[in-house]
Amino acid sequence: MMKKFMDRFRKKGRQDVRMWHEHPMKPAYDAVIVGGGLHGLAAAYYLGRDHGMTDVAVIERRYIGYGGSGRNTSIVRSNQRSKENIPLYDEGLKLWPELIGELDFNLMFFNCGNLNLAHSEAEAAGLKMTVATAQIMGVRSEFLNARECKELVPHLDITHRPRYPIYGGMYHPPGGTVRHDAVVWALARGADRLGIHIHQLTEVEDILVEKGKVTGVKTDKGTIRTPLVLNAAGGYSPTVSTMVGIDLPVTVLPLQALVSEPLKPFLHHVVSSGRYHAYASQSLKGEIVTGAHMDPWPSYTTHVTAHYMKHQAEALMDLMPCLRGARFMRIWGGLTDMTPDMAPIVSDSPIGGFYLDCGWGYFGFKSAPITGRYMARWIATGNCPEILKPFSLRRYRNYNLQRETAAVMYYTPWN
Amino acid sequence: MSFLLTCPNCGPRNIYEFRFGGEVKTRPDENTVSAEDWADYVYLSKNVCGVQKEWWYHAKGCGTWFAVERDTRDNLPVVKEENEG
Repeated sequence: MMKKFMDRFRKKGRQDVRMWHEHPMKPAYDAVIVGGGLHGLAAAYYLGRDHGMTDVAVIERRYIGYGGSGRNTSIVRSNQRSKENIPLYDEGLKLWPELIGELDFNLMFFNCGNLNLAHSEAEAAGLKMTVATAQIMGVRSEFLNARECKELVPHLDITHRPRYPIYGGMYHPPGGTVRHDAVVWALARGADRLGIHIHQLTEVEDILVEKGKVTGVKTDKGTIRTPLVLNAAGGYSPTVSTMVGIDLPVTVLPLQALVSEPLKPFLHHVVSSGRYHAYASQSLKGEIVTGAHMDPWPSYTTHVTAHYMKHQAEALMDLMPCLRGARFMRIWGGLTDMTPDMAPIVSDSPIGGFYLDCGWGYFGFKSAPITGRYMARWIATGNCPEILKPFSLRRYRNYNLQRETAAVMYYTPWN
Repeated sequence: MSFLLTCPNCGPRNIYEFRFGGEVKTRPDENTVSAEDWADYVYLSKNVCGVQKEWWYHAKGCGTWFAVERDTRDNLPVVKEENEG
């Protein structure tokens, strides 16, 4: 279909306005990236930009941005819980303005700030620990009491009427939202201009290994010889890893999100509540973008359920009663590759030349460009950058799990 | 697509009544297992994109634990099931 569309452009003699192009698949590439989402495209872009590796193919089974990259709720922040995670997210958050200029693309970075609500003294104590960690690490974050939360977001109900009254909140001013599709397009265009091939509608069927090293990738469009493969397949990263005999400490769970009809601007921050399993922000078009319910069983469907819509309506009306009567416009589902410690797997592997960038769960969007940048450095030089060392696959065997779970109480699928 | 799961005790019920209990794995011998193998047993999953055998628990129902085969691509029931009592 895409080819037909391209041909029509060419026949009419119009200027080729497409942001990335189709190329015939070569029999060999210096590196192959499995997954045309943000992590894969970012790694490809930085391989070309920083390391002059442009003989790179990005293989995408559907079209770029089809998976989590186009299905997330576009929130960015860097108030993670643990000192191993904060530096990566902090650098990632500071990268957005730089990317907008460099890629010459309006990514609609709106640093409106995030307010994460606590509904009990115990939850507040947890958030205060997270605030303290952020402050020690130089990330702006502060704890607000309920009245201060109300001053920030006047439509919050801080009375005792809601099922879980608001006790306080963690305010993180530098966070906000970024237009997720624009990031996909901008990185794809950037990579394409560097000469990197993006092969859409191409399925990886197998990864070839000889003597413990990657030698190629078998796709439904032909076999590619390559010594380097990056698994950036998001929800399908376990499927891709299985091709080289690696099982991952990942559970693939379906996540749902939805948007309301456009409303007048009234919500100027990202508001989230772990207790209600809910977060909401208002897009620049006026829609309330809200998530996210996670069905706690493994699934490769991107299903949506009435159960979730009811839950979300109740949660939003409890937090912000002014939303009563607002109508939901769209609902969708995506896949999350959840790890037991809520931290990603950015790692080499027992198979030589096979790298992993997965296990992001629902943190994959905000971290994509910065991780791609460091992953590209690792692939190109063979040396693991210091900032990625905590995310090794080996940490599970060493019983050295990270402590991110504390930041997302009640969000996890395990309760 | 289905959102029903068949409890061996209660019959087909809404899947939200159940809790997923993990993939069915072979438990290693605790007396001889190495620390690394134990970590693999605890943390690693197959995440089959297709039919896999899983533990489920009828949490908001009769409380039965049971193993069931389910297709992760469409949640469709359940090729066969067995009650592990």
